[in-house]
Amino acid sequence: MTNRDAPTAKLMWGAIKSERGRYSANVLLWSTIWLMPVIPALIVRGFFDSLELETGANAVTFVALIVGYGLGRVAVMVLAMHNDVHFEFRNASQLRRNMLERIYEMPAAQAVQGSPGEMISRFREDVDHTQETISWTVDMVGATIFGVVAVWILTGIDAGLTLAVFAPLVVMVVLAERLGGRIKRYREEAQAATGRITEAVGEMFGAVQSIKVAGAEHSMVENLRELNDGRRKAMVRDKTLTAGLESVFWNTVSIGTGLILLVGAGSLAADGGLTVGEFALFVYFLGFVTDAGYFVGIFIARFKQATVSYARMINLLRGGRPMRLVDKVDLELTGPEPLIAAVPRRASDQLETLTVRELTFHYPGTDNGIRGVDLDLPRGSFTVVTGRIGSGKTTLLRALLGLVPADAGEILWNGELVEDPSTWMVPPHAAYTPQVPSLFSMSLRDNLQLGRNDSDDEIVAAIRSAALERDLEDMPDGLDTMVGPRGMRLSGGQVQRTAAARMLLRRPELLVFDDLSSALDVETEQTLWRRLLEEQVGATALVVSHRLPALMRADQVLMMEEGRIVARGSYKELMETSDAFNSLFAGNGAS
Amino acid sequence: MIPVRSYVRILRKYLRPLRGRVALLAVVALTGIALQLAGPQLIRAFLDGATRGTEVSKLVPLAIWFIVIAVFQQGAKVWATYISVDVGWSATNDLRADLAEHVLHLDMGFHKEHTPGALIERIDGDVTSLSNFFSSFTIMVIGNLILIAGILVLLWVEHWLIGLGVTGFVVLIFSGMVKVQSIAVPRWKAVRARSAELMGFIGEQLGGTEDIKANGGDRFMIARFTNILRQWLPEHVRGRHGFSMLWAMGIMTFITGLVVVFFIGSILFTDGIMTLGSVYLVFHYVQMSHDPMEQIRAQMEDFQKAGAGIARVEDLLARHSAIADDGVTPLSGGSVEVHFDHVTFWYNDEDGETDRPVLDNLNFTLPKGRVLGVLGRSGSGKSTLARLLTRLYDPQQGTIRLDGTPLSHVPVEDLRHRVAMVTQDVQLFGASIRDNLTFFDHDVDDERLLDVIDQLGLTAWLATLGDGLDSRLEASGSGLSAGQAQLLAFTRIFLRDPGVVILDEASSRLDPATEELIERAVDRLLENRTGIIIAHRLATIERADDILILEDGLIVEAGDRARLAADPDSRLSHLLATGLEEVLA
Repeated sequence: MTNRDAPTAKLMWGAIKSERGRYSANVLLWSTIWLMPVIPALIVRGFFDSLELETGANAVTFVALIVGYGLGRVAVMVLAMHNDVHFEFRNASQLRRNMLERIYEMPAAQAVQGSPGEMISRFREDVDHTQETISWTVDMVGATIFGVVAVWILTGIDAGLTLAVFAPLVVMVVLAERLGGRIKRYREEAQAATGRITEAVGEMFGAVQSIKVAGAEHSMVENLRELNDGRRKAMVRDKTLTAGLESVFWNTVSIGTGLILLVGAGSLAADGGLTVGEFALFVYFLGFVTDAGYFVGIFIARFKQATVSYARMINLLRGGRPMRLVDKVDLELTGPEPLIAAVPRRASDQLETLTVRELTFHYPGTDNGIRGVDLDLPRGSFTVVTGRIGSGKTTLLRALLGLVPADAGEILWNGELVEDPSTWMVPPHAAYTPQVPSLFSMSLRDNLQLGRNDSDDEIVAAIRSAALERDLEDMPDGLDTMVGPRGMRLSGGQVQRTAAARMLLRRPELLVFDDLSSALDVETEQTLWRRLLEEQVGATALVVSHRLPALMRADQVLMMEEGRIVARGSYKELMETSDAFNSLFAGNGAS
Repeated sequence: MIPVRSYVRILRKYLRPLRGRVALLAVVALTGIALQLAGPQLIRAFLDGATRGTEVSKLVPLAIWFIVIAVFQQGAKVWATYISVDVGWSATNDLRADLAEHVLHLDMGFHKEHTPGALIERIDGDVTSLSNFFSSFTIMVIGNLILIAGILVLLWVEHWLIGLGVTGFVVLIFSGMVKVQSIAVPRWKAVRARSAELMGFIGEQLGGTEDIKANGGDRFMIARFTNILRQWLPEHVRGRHGFSMLWAMGIMTFITGLVVVFFIGSILFTDGIMTLGSVYLVFHYVQMSHDPMEQIRAQMEDFQKAGAGIARVEDLLARHSAIADDGVTPLSGGSVEVHFDHVTFWYNDEDGETDRPVLDNLNFTLPKGRVLGVLGRSGSGKSTLARLLTRLYDPQQGTIRLDGTPLSHVPVEDLRHRVAMVTQDVQLFGASIRDNLTFFDHDVDDERLLDVIDQLGLTAWLATLGDGLDSRLEASGSGLSAGQAQLLAFTRIFLRDPGVVILDEASSRLDPATEELIERAVDRLLENRTGIIIAHRLATIERADDILILEDGLIVEAGDRARLAADPDSRLSHLLATGLEEVLA
């Protein structure tokens, strides 16, 4: 799973470049932290040498030196941490922001594929994994500098012994590199297992009401248990292999010490050979040199894991430029709170006619979709799309709004070709109420405005048009009422009318409803259509509905079957001329 | 403090069946520690020999033994890791499942306040930190503590002054660590809460991209994302500096250890009490105690997370559903009589404040086998009525009775098997059709499923999916039209044998042709059962025997449908008149 267009190193470099200053400071500070242990090593050697060779140096001198060193190290460490936390936070935030931005660039109905839980794991674990790996590059630099200095000092004492110490280390790093492939696979499996569990838990609580009502709590949890066990196995494999590799690295210290004893036995025993102080220095450095080697090995493994995570995040971009992940963005973490510029409405935005020609779209890998749909919506007209389940009504709306990318056909706004419906068919040109609208855990006001700056009067007017004003009166905090996660504190009908008010507040040229009235009672629906058609003067409406109050008001009714429009005309005309229309509505209601 | 006690309290139940493996873990880990302690003794013998001019041929075996011991010690360590990870995940997997079940049983009031994203963080995220905690705790903390204890014993044996010095040093360092830890944990809690908030927010957006994009709200969502980050950053920095303090403690540990060696070593060596090899031994052991302390220190971060996680898990486990499930009276089979006895209900606000009642002193009886049509504008309390009957909520006043038994006397599981409901929003899973229908209950056989699907006239549709019952639905049921989803919801309740069937706006989103399909099936479902149809459409209540019209939580009209329809002054006939165009066709 390597990313050919964007190798991991290139992505990491991209991320580093956008925080160049902090990264440079990180390299400097963390290299210092790596290099500093050379000082106590030399102090320790001095101490043992002073005992063995009876140079008479005072213990107090060594104590003063070592305490001074300790204070210095703490100071550098605090600085390094401070710099690193800012670096790491910004880098991680940038990744998340870029993914989010990309999601909003794509045709919205296809932007998110896979369950929300699984998608969240990309925003959470995958970002953390890659971020850690980038932080570790700094340690790589520090470890290397330390390694060079340590080897230089040790070679000065005994070149042969130094070689004997380093030989096993090199072997170990090579070994780790060879095992790296397996680590990557195990890690992928463990991640996939975690993804499945997050997904299952997310869906479980997304569907909590259905589960409760069905009394199915137990069987749902049994399913979770099975997934859990799969993850345990994957985790044990992953962690044991990692522990084995780490152990190999730590073991180099002990084996290295043994080698020093073995190889240096003669020199240590001989007068004028290796002193105990020098032996102590060797062993002390061995620990740190092995630390460095360990970091290299771990880094290689991490780097491979990061490749997995990057691949998953690139997959989320769905064909977007991979390097997009690490594009520099202004995160606006400091300074005044970000404002959203209002979209100005120009006279040329006004809709005179909307024309759709040969619009075609298929959901990838299926026969479902729409084929060669033609449509004319003159200003101020009211058009109802109807048809059986799966006949393509919702798909037509989505393709028109650019929520799915059309395979063929064109959309003309006042006769001019709309190049990118997904950026054009938004307010002030168009706005949309989906069949099952989503609200967000914010206040009612925020849900309606989504960043706009409307006055309360305008908001209340939109609420009235959507026949929501009585519900508003009953809400404890009025417009500031929190609607709960996904609007769960509102009833189904309230959610739909809130979504309608959200659309109306934008006063778009084209109103698009998908089966708006499905959760409404007859009277509310009547009120809603009346207010909508009378008060949104000049607005053009395209509506999916099977309901008579809508059908009978329509200027034109479009009847869809298997992705095509098979009949069009007024309700009366269709009743008289279309068999398909008649068969659809036959038996709907008695009397 | 390291949250061992809470941890053991939570996991006692789950660790008990794993006793054998925990014991093996202890043996393996202790062997490793003994080997680790033996190494430096060999070095001392070697160094003393070397400085006294012992022959090299006698020194070499010591060096070889040293290497052999090192290899075995590492083997023990890997084995111990394997066991600890396995035990840790086994134990927490059971906890995770039980916690999920506990939370599933919590009342809807709780679920309205908690996004699925936040619950993922609490059930999977927090429990995972517990499983990491187990492996790191047994190996890194207990193992290392025993190692340090072993070192201290050996040093006391060496010379009391050395023993005293190093013991003082260890005590000093540990008390320091504990203090620092208590500062750092609350900081981490704040960071974790913020992260959960951000993930909840992102999850919600991912489910609503169409709404956001088509209404021009994308910039706003990005701005909100930024605002959460702005609040998170300062807390994140503070959290990390909690970690800096712990590291600083580690550095001071190392420095203090050297100070002890420098002072005591030079005194005892000069006095001729210790050999150079012995001074090195002390130095080596103090060095050795540094690594375990570093590791314990490094684990502190995990402990902070685990500590915060444990607190939240305990918090979650301590929550009780507002719906008490202590009934013992089973419901009899067959059709059921439903009686609302002066029922008043209001939704409690987050702050415990109350709103006006959603249902106000509701009083009616629905005899066995009758079908009740409930009418009223949205917000009139129709859906609430269904939620009370399935005990998603309990009324504040009054009693609901089934066959004369108050709902609270019936076990909840029993109740929900006997009272079936189809709601407006069909909630589906990214799983096979089979699992979606059975809620992953593997005891339901295919034959029965296919039979029910056939009754619903869905067989032809199922065939188009390619893999029949094995066809996977996309997550959240996308790829299905709302009408198709509704049909699946019907199949779900057809699978049970309820005594009461509630259809809450069930047919509202179906096209007329599919609706006809459903009508037939509903007829069959209502046969010999009590039915409540909450309807917005007059056509839907055609089959009702009785009618109940609600307005602002009050019954404004109730009675036999035919009688009401015949009475020109009834609200029903007014509705029939205004909604006449609805039934024109």
